[in-house]
Amino acid sequence: MAEYAHPDVLVSTDWVAEHMHNTDNVRLVEANEDVLLYETGHIENAVKIDWVQDLQDDTVRDFIDAEAFAELCAENGISNDTTVVFYGDRNNWWACYAFWVFRLYGHENAVIMDGGRKKWVDEGRDLTREKPDFSRAEYTAPDGPNVSIRSFRDEVLEHQKRRGQMVDVRSPEEFRGEITHLPDLPEESSMRGGHIPGARNVPWSTAVNEDGTFKSREELEKIYQEGEGLDRSAETIAYCRIGERSSHTWFVLTYLLGFDNVSNYDGSWTEWGNLVGMPIERGDAQPVEA
Amino acid sequence: MNRLEEIAEPFQMADRDFRLELLLEYSDKLPELPDDYRELRDQGMNMVHECQSPVFLMAEVEDGTVRVIGDVPREAPTARAFVSILRDAFDGEPPSEVLDAPADALRVLGLSDLLGMQRTQGLSAIYGRLRKQVREKSQSQA
Repeated sequence: MAEYAHPDVLVSTDWVAEHMHNTDNVRLVEANEDVLLYETGHIENAVKIDWVQDLQDDTVRDFIDAEAFAELCAENGISNDTTVVFYGDRNNWWACYAFWVFRLYGHENAVIMDGGRKKWVDEGRDLTREKPDFSRAEYTAPDGPNVSIRSFRDEVLEHQKRRGQMVDVRSPEEFRGEITHLPDLPEESSMRGGHIPGARNVPWSTAVNEDGTFKSREELEKIYQEGEGLDRSAETIAYCRIGERSSHTWFVLTYLLGFDNVSNYDGSWTEWGNLVGMPIERGDAQPVEA
Repeated sequence: MNRLEEIAEPFQMADRDFRLELLLEYSDKLPELPDDYRELRDQGMNMVHECQSPVFLMAEVEDGTVRVIGDVPREAPTARAFVSILRDAFDGEPPSEVLDAPADALRVLGLSDLLGMQRTQGLSAIYGRLRKQVREKSQSQA
């Protein structure tokens, strides 16, 4: 079976079980959709990073700045060379988002536990409610985010005009423009339903197996490359509604399939759908040209 | 003061970590679903579809008393805690306790801040469902 393009970004639950006590060099980070899930029980020695409370700054509607990032790491006992292992609920959705933020700030030693929290629990492994208390680490703040893995709206517009490759990872109903927001989520709604013209539609969870692990390289190639005609060497932009689900697809394309140049448009549909002057398309994607 | 507002008082005074602790207590104490309702749940009735997790919620009004019956998987502890809070607030009370309770329960409980705007959707739907059922079932008995 062909290996993933960068297999070193994934670790197994077995690996975590072997290394969870090596707290000098390894820091487990649980990142969940559900804010309370960590409190109900987590892997021993895991700290919690919450996407709303820790990774986003709503005063600028952006992820945290470099200084806040360095502080977040320091207070969780993470130094620049600590290996950070992310895992979480919902097929590692938020674990991938946290991983993306760590990569934005140049943290090299970051990996995802394949299968996430679900696999760990399904294997009958222990959880604890005891919160670890690591002493503060030294973390040298990066200069700023590495924006090559992030796309801004004007870049997306240029890319779209060039008929560049894009993956919309929302549900088919959102893609076709049948629904403009999730019920009771008006602040993420958009004036218009549809997608960025030319985008392919691959819902993010297509990339994972029933047990929470990522699908094999062959299966992923079938979905993204054969099925949607995506080219590994072409510049690719992934987006969703608010830019979180697309970080999961960014991870899959970049590390598992080895796409050369993938960025996450985290403004996503919430921004694009509401902006004046941005072209959209409704309905299904065009058939893939043979 | 409304029962829900009484429950909200410690939440309003608490910081983020303590709010999570309070929520955890509520999540832990949601009782098992009574046997009589298992079939309904397993048939997929009375599910709150706006929730990403399978949340079962039913309100009954019997002899002028509200009963709150709910079941939420342990993997969705926030929704579980919220259902448990609603049960504590309204189970055994007259329908007026529910109908006169603040419409913005999430804000009153300080959960909007804690959760961020992005993930309060399912909880609003749970609360809306409860109020709607109590309203309908208390009218049909009046």
